Amino acid sequence: MPFTAKSGKFNASINAVEFGTGDKAVKIGGENVFPLYSFDAAIENAPKVGIEITDFGMEHEPECIKKYYEGCATLADMARKAASMEGVDFLSFRMEGGDPNGANKSTEELIGELKEIADAVDLPLVVCGCKNVEKDAELFSKAAEALNGKNAVILSAKEENYKTVGAAAGLAYKQVVGAESAVDINLAKQLNVLISQLGVDSKSVVMNVGTAAVGYGFEYVISTMDRVKAAALQQGDANLQMPIITPVASEAWGVKEAMASETDAPEWGSQEERGIDMEVETAMAVIAAGSNAVILKHPESIKIISGLMKELV
Amino acid sequence: MYKVTFKFENSEDVTVFAAFGESLLEVARKTNVAIDAPCSGNASCGKCRVKLVEGELDSKQTRHISDEEYAQGWRLACCSKINADVAVMVPDIASAYRSRMKVADLSSPDELKIFDNIKQSITEAGIELKNNLESIHVKMDVPTLDDTMPDNERLTRAIREITGMQRVKLPYSVIHKMAQVLREHNFDVNVVIRKTEKDIFVYDICGADEAPVIAGLAIDIGTTTVSAIIIDMTDGKILAKGSSGNGQIRYGADVINRIIESRKPGGQDKLQKAIIEETINPLVQTMCRQAKISPMNIYRMSVAANTTMNHLLIGVNADPVRMEPYIPTFFKTNSIFAGDIGIKVNPDAHIILAPNIGSYVGGDITAGAFVTMLWNQEPFSLFIDLGTNGEIVFGNSDFMFSCACSAGPAFEGGDISCGMRATDGAIEACTIDAETMEPKLTIVGNEGTKPVGICGSGIIDIISELFRCKIINPKGKFVREGRRVKRDADGMGSYVLAFEGEEAGSSKDVEITEVDIDSFIRAKGAIFSAIRTMLSYCDFDISMIENVYVAGGIGSGINMANAINIGMFPDIPVEMYHYVGNTSLAGAYAMLCSTESERKVYELAANMTYIELSTIPQYMDEFVGACFLPHTDASLFPNR
Repeated sequence: MPFTAKSGKFNASINAVEFGTGDKAVKIGGENVFPLYSFDAAIENAPKVGIEITDFGMEHEPECIKKYYEGCATLADMARKAASMEGVDFLSFRMEGGDPNGANKSTEELIGELKEIADAVDLPLVVCGCKNVEKDAELFSKAAEALNGKNAVILSAKEENYKTVGAAAGLAYKQVVGAESAVDINLAKQLNVLISQLGVDSKSVVMNVGTAAVGYGFEYVISTMDRVKAAALQQGDANLQMPIITPVASEAWGVKEAMASETDAPEWGSQEERGIDMEVETAMAVIAAGSNAVILKHPESIKIISGLMKELV
Repeated sequence: MYKVTFKFENSEDVTVFAAFGESLLEVARKTNVAIDAPCSGNASCGKCRVKLVEGELDSKQTRHISDEEYAQGWRLACCSKINADVAVMVPDIASAYRSRMKVADLSSPDELKIFDNIKQSITEAGIELKNNLESIHVKMDVPTLDDTMPDNERLTRAIREITGMQRVKLPYSVIHKMAQVLREHNFDVNVVIRKTEKDIFVYDICGADEAPVIAGLAIDIGTTTVSAIIIDMTDGKILAKGSSGNGQIRYGADVINRIIESRKPGGQDKLQKAIIEETINPLVQTMCRQAKISPMNIYRMSVAANTTMNHLLIGVNADPVRMEPYIPTFFKTNSIFAGDIGIKVNPDAHIILAPNIGSYVGGDITAGAFVTMLWNQEPFSLFIDLGTNGEIVFGNSDFMFSCACSAGPAFEGGDISCGMRATDGAIEACTIDAETMEPKLTIVGNEGTKPVGICGSGIIDIISELFRCKIINPKGKFVREGRRVKRDADGMGSYVLAFEGEEAGSSKDVEITEVDIDSFIRAKGAIFSAIRTMLSYCDFDISMIENVYVAGGIGSGINMANAINIGMFPDIPVEMYHYVGNTSLAGAYAMLCSTESERKVYELAANMTYIELSTIPQYMDEFVGACFLPHTDASLFPNR
């Protein structure tokens, strides 16, 4: 008797969310099957890959990244260069220097830089903050205003500042609101409920359910994403059907496997290779668990992941 | 060394000497000055306030003390170190830790009716309402030069003859006084005895013309509150009742902090002293005066308490209770007498301890489960005891499961800034106008009583109404602004139920803060997730529950519909919920007056399966899901 495979597609689907404008706009989500299960039903939008630059420019980047941006004098130059890399679908700008416990750059300065970048490239934009909830609330409100009409992703609103961020980004300037929670399915859902109660259209919300580099409590990340997708698709939970964007670069390039120099750890081999490996492995694992987009920073990693997506979807 | 003076509003100063750098709270404890410190001195609860009146203190200002209060001299004792001679004013403990507890004071006829109902339901369950204490009349021949039998043999023989029992035990207390009593009454006496199948034990002896009072004492020792009754053992009539705060509370608000405190040098004795000498003995004294009997007429007592409380009561090491694999010294023990642990009643009085079934499900629950009668019914029932530890029993006449979760003192008004017991001035119910955000309050006390605080049932109503009116979001944070919504310097919101001066009976606003709401949401989340986890562990569903018995100090004013609205209890028809009062005390009462009930409680305990929630990974998930109004999974509350 011939084997007839039963399709594993669901009646529910992940929301399709578009960000950016014009013909460069990207769409994530929309599938009604588990991650990468293209054999069950066609996956409308393959997972997308973004490239990250920060307000520090090349200052804090490892040598292996710097070399790709040789000759760039300004952030705008870097942005243009980044946008031209192979496989890049969108550009992510992280305003790391805003942290009051760090460089404590002013909101005006950072928003000025953001505008420069936005003017320099026509790729869809994702704006990340400095991880200080109060400062982020301020930064994101201004960013949403500065990027009016760009349909950018504001990544992200947290439980502590969702009201300010959601109101500015989602209600006033109609950007896409990122909802960030700390690796827990219930907390993710709770924040989505709060944001939708604020009046933000749940079709313009994406999630960052939290991540880590592989090997660093990563099983929690995977099981959270797995269960979010299962609840969204199997149980049709509308409060978890938002697509997931996972910023991988900031995690993968912050662990010792990627940072230890070759003089400190000669037995580990090339630092660049290690960094790329950490980034690619983390990215592929979160995509397989349900991320609809990842943010990376090494051009080589981006090439590998976007190539894989072309093959798999 | 520096001189430290503690001043009080209503009593004399206490002066001690302390070394540089010593914590003021530690100095107070060593000196037996009661300063309320439910968090055991971690600077987290903000209850250990004292007022600096003279000298100086090396003291940090924490978020619990406003700039204005700091300027007035308010300090937290746990954050203050001695660096000079100092005098501090200690707020009256009666108004500090005793009053903020909801004490089941048994003052209402409703609460007392519960005991009559128990007697009835015990009888209906076919259990004999009889104990084995009685008084018998013994008349002996007066000894002569020809009849030279000693007193003890004379009495023993006489008792043998009357009862037909061979073994008769006379304890020291009887031997000590019998020579005099027998001669004073010409060898015509009444004796109080306990009759078992094997032997007779003689508790007391008095003249035949005196009718001996055979009294018994039932105590519920809660982590926060202790309540007790004295009864007539012959007919179960209540002779006196009383309650007070648990004296151990200054060593920590929950069982874990108490156990930790008990492991410090001398700690075990200190905690035992706090419960027996400072709490139970004074309570018994007062009740005996009320009943006009001598404490020596109390020949039996029964205690229902959680595992930690009964371990600390009899002074055994409770540390294994909190350490994996959580094995206590005993589940049940029959060998403790009042004289062993210094309880001032008849020293031979046997202490019936309601049996524990796990480290966190103790005698309060086995005794409580007995009086709900859920073990005698076909339909499935849920029994929820809302205390500092929330305990839950589910089952019917065929099986029973139980589990415990840590809810914190929120249900008893602890951990809540304006929390208080359900006494005069407490807000016990509340509705809020969705349009104007103005509250309508029901206050305990005579018409016109001004509100001074909030009791457990009031908190449920307030949170439910704030949520219904969309003043707070499902996380318990304020999302509407208005006259009654205040923000402090850190942006923390609060809702003012009664403004100082115009509306409130106290010197500050009666309000509920985001921190209060957060504590309460965690408490209700712990209860609801424990119910869900236990039911799914047994493969049951909430639709199978036909009765829910709610017990505990939260008060009879609890509005079940609002408790469901905030996701504390499962969404099943309100008619299925029954408030059953203090079942722990009721269970202790049943075990005291009926020997067969006592046996039945042991039997129930042996048949109850204990589930350790911490070993079920799903529990933590359920808990986070339940810390939302009403729940992260709104489909669990379809009717709300």
